[in-house]
Amino acid sequence: MAIAPANPFEQLAFNLASLIEDGMVVYVGTGLPMVGALLAKKTHAPNITMVYESGGQDPWEGPMPWSVGGAATFRRSALTLEMPHSFAMAANGYVDICFQGAAQIDMYGNLNTHFIGGGFHDFKHRLSGSGGGNDLASLTEKVVLVGLQDASKFPAKLDFLTSPGHLTGGDSRQKAGLLGQGPIAVVSQLGIMDFHPVSKRMRIKAINTGLNAEICQACTGFELLMPDGEIEQIPIPPDDVLTVLREEVDPQKIFIQFPPRVK
Amino acid sequence: MCVSSKFQYNEKALENLRIKDTSILDHLIDHQSFRENSLKKNRRKEDKRMSLKDAIAKYVDDGDICTDAGFAYVRTPIQAYFEIMRQGKKNLHFIGSPNTNQSYLMFKGCAKYSHNSYVGAEMRGTDRLYVRNIKQGRGIVLSEWGHGSMGQGFKAAQYGMPFVASKQLLGSEMLDYNPYVKVDTDPFTGQPVTLIPALHPDVTIIHCQQADMFGNAKIFGPAVNDIALAHSARKVIITCEEVVPELQLRFDPAFTVIPFVVVDAVVELPFGALPGACPGYYYWYREWWEWIFRIASKTDEAMDHYLQYWVYGSDDQWGFIDKMSQHMGGSSYLHNLKRLERAEEYLIEDKGVSFDYQMVIPTSEGGV
Repeated sequence: MAIAPANPFEQLAFNLASLIEDGMVVYVGTGLPMVGALLAKKTHAPNITMVYESGGQDPWEGPMPWSVGGAATFRRSALTLEMPHSFAMAANGYVDICFQGAAQIDMYGNLNTHFIGGGFHDFKHRLSGSGGGNDLASLTEKVVLVGLQDASKFPAKLDFLTSPGHLTGGDSRQKAGLLGQGPIAVVSQLGIMDFHPVSKRMRIKAINTGLNAEICQACTGFELLMPDGEIEQIPIPPDDVLTVLREEVDPQKIFIQFPPRVK
Repeated sequence: MCVSSKFQYNEKALENLRIKDTSILDHLIDHQSFRENSLKKNRRKEDKRMSLKDAIAKYVDDGDICTDAGFAYVRTPIQAYFEIMRQGKKNLHFIGSPNTNQSYLMFKGCAKYSHNSYVGAEMRGTDRLYVRNIKQGRGIVLSEWGHGSMGQGFKAAQYGMPFVASKQLLGSEMLDYNPYVKVDTDPFTGQPVTLIPALHPDVTIIHCQQADMFGNAKIFGPAVNDIALAHSARKVIITCEEVVPELQLRFDPAFTVIPFVVVDAVVELPFGALPGACPGYYYWYREWWEWIFRIASKTDEAMDHYLQYWVYGSDDQWGFIDKMSQHMGGSSYLHNLKRLERAEEYLIEDKGVSFDYQMVIPTSEGGV
């Protein structure tokens, strides 16, 4: 029986999952990154270990957490510790990958979760602040950025730099004393971008089926670099993966409903 | 800058934050006064139980630096915050990672200053009330942090270290808005580090599952920053689901993380984390959070009305629970909160337990 094709959120979750390799320790936040990580665990990466910032780690399989402090993040965990311990695991090289959303992402993968428009005191919109975002961006080996891509969310200049990516490009991240490789990929509804190995500027890596580089560029407030070879086409998620996503990972459609639930 | 300043702050941050009188910053990092206070504390192992009303009246003073403990709406002493509001405490500083609950305290003038890390409720999004608090000057930000870097400040305090060197906050513009944090060079490696001072709040209220009458306390589930907070704050109030015999902790010391010596008051407060969750005990009251973030936070009038009803219109947690039961179809709702939490933790069989949540506010109405 044919099933409905993936909506943009489901494709995004599928693309996020594709960046997770079996055996990794994964630092999980709320929302689509959690959906992507659980999808990976239930499909190609059953041996990943989840770490949550409030102190939960390696929970027994169960319902999807609504919150990174909720019961599902420490469900029958053999060990549950403290927040500073969770971040220290990232600093000490025990976390392979983390996922981060933001209100703004720039061409070097720096993130803004503080305010939009104006300045610190005369902002247009004030946002939630750093949370654990700055800590993970500063410490984790591989950082994957997640966002719905348009020119305002991917601007030429951030209104505030909350969490460091590659700062001003080149070796500036390393010079600033930060740990890890920094952002390795950006996953949006359009596809997957990575960063040029030398300049550290964002470039197109792979695009979802049916879209093209012109569309990606039109949804970006700065010039996207093009890969040396051909742009990969990301396949649509196979039916069996979509079924797992819809029936096991997020059966309540908390995060994969499109258009999204009103928050 | 300020020549008579007690401590040396990050001057660019003082300028950016428009802080002219730095004395407002001093208490948080004043280890000397913290230590003197500790030395004066009653050391005797005696029954420290008292009512919530008495504990808040005795140990929370206007202008204190108060913590947001637990994790926003997980094992957070929210019923104690409600009592702070009912007693009309004023001009508190709020610090915590996360620091979600400061918002409604700020709205009522109970909190005035913020050491900011995170405000909001994850998927429920930005807190519009906090945005208005800051915009209208009801709240003033004294410093900007990440969860982890602030947590390191509490850990430094717990372990008696004057400051820690960190790899967090480097390259972030938060450095320009945090008077307490400085960039320096690691004397061993020559690499850049941030220096984060030991942070000493005036008062912390920690909601635990179990404590004895002396203040030895157990935490189940994520401890978040609470072990560090209990050791770094000048005054420590434990609210707990149950007061258990001291012998129980002696025979089963696992999860005992707060020693009686640091504790000033023990309040037996069943359901003290409602409308948040308490691991092992009850789930969060999801509808309450949906109402406050999606409806009440839209206007000051609506928020005033909301808090009048739920906080000022309740004498204590039982009054709150009466209202909750009334709105949620009776007393079985409270039982269901216990069932949901325990099923999600897999302490009871979860097959057949539904975590389905029907939004109480139709999505078609006045889209947010």
